[in-house]
Amino acid sequence: MTNQQNLKYLAFFLLFSSLGFSRQVFAHGANIVYQYKQAIEVKATYDDGTPMSKAQVVIYAPDNPAIPWQKGTTDEEGKFSFIPSSDVSGNWDIKIRQSGHGDIISIPWQTDQPTSVVESQENISNLADSTYTPMQKIVMAASGVWGFVGTALFFSRQKSPS
Amino acid sequence: MKKLLISACALAFIGYGLSENIGTQAANAQTGTLVLVANGEDFIRQGFVSKDGWQIDFDHAYVTLNQVKAYSTEPAFDPAGETPLEPKQTVALITQAKTIDLAEGEENAEPIMVTQTGAPVGAYNALSWKVVPAQAGSAQGNSIVLAGTASKNEQKIDFVIGFNQELDYTCGEYVGEDRKGIVQAGNMAQVETTFHFDHIFGDNSLPTEDALNQESIGFEPLASLAQNGQLKVNQTDLEQKLDQENYAKLQQALSGLGHVGEGHCRS
Repeated sequence: MTNQQNLKYLAFFLLFSSLGFSRQVFAHGANIVYQYKQAIEVKATYDDGTPMSKAQVVIYAPDNPAIPWQKGTTDEEGKFSFIPSSDVSGNWDIKIRQSGHGDIISIPWQTDQPTSVVESQENISNLADSTYTPMQKIVMAASGVWGFVGTALFFSRQKSPS
Repeated sequence: MKKLLISACALAFIGYGLSENIGTQAANAQTGTLVLVANGEDFIRQGFVSKDGWQIDFDHAYVTLNQVKAYSTEPAFDPAGETPLEPKQTVALITQAKTIDLAEGEENAEPIMVTQTGAPVGAYNALSWKVVPAQAGSAQGNSIVLAGTASKNEQKIDFVIGFNQELDYTCGEYVGEDRKGIVQAGNMAQVETTFHFDHIFGDNSLPTEDALNQESIGFEPLASLAQNGQLKVNQTDLEQKLDQENYAKLQQALSGLGHVGEGHCRS
């Protein structure tokens, strides 16, 4: 299929705190509250710019990439919006398909944690994932040995005559 | 004193060895199986009508794969861009050329299972492979061989078309109904090499002005090379006998043949 698709990640809608109404309670009344949330909007088009309207959308969350987190369809303009889970950071993958054409896009998403904290966690994670070189392993082993030797020498020292 | 030193050394190395063992066992537990399949889609299994009205049915569609590798990348590899593929993890699936018949099986057969191997847990969201001339067997000397029958009105042509062009594809994530390439501990996951032969012949179900039909050669230029209902040609013959425009389109179509489901590849 030669028509490539462009899934354009359009915008983050901004967020703020929850707002609620306080009102008198009735036995059979309806109650509506609202809150602002962060959302992601994507737009899918064919190569020639034609919107992929009413196309199939499948979203995968970073903590379970094998199972769809949400399904839906694009609107007439090829747009689709969703609100990622507030507690799941990572790459959210969005697949959009129509009539044998399709594409998948990864969108990085971070929860509301301060940036500095996230960076710090990444550094720790990278360190944990790293593998040691043979030289590093030898130095670590030697350090361990030296620790044992030092301890042994300490306890085996002769007391000086007082 | 000497005994103390020897004991200390022994304890240190035993401790170090144990920690290495524990690490290795943990790593082994985090593996699954990656299965490579090859798919010629319904075009090959069920036949189709070319852009110029030829009903094409395939008896065989041989492709010879080599150097097939699955990758886990982050961020995702974009085949439409120019950024090189920088994998976090690479799994070699085929290291020696292997010929597969994409037409094997019934009309509704599953994609052809090519090979499988153990793989660390992860999302394998990129795939690269080559299509190379076969050294032996039914496709010897060719990277792709298409054999079958084309018919239109009262005409019927038995064809065997060989291509010896070496092809090299680097693709992003598989795009299709299901998600593929997610290896979980102890489980199997697939990656797929997909071939879109409608890029060569066009598709009668699409409008004439569709890019796919505009960029394909159809079957008519090949039918004109047949004699007594027989067409047996290789790529050298095609280079000599097709007009320049059609041969250029054919080469371009071969470069665009490789996909991952509906996902595209860099070639």
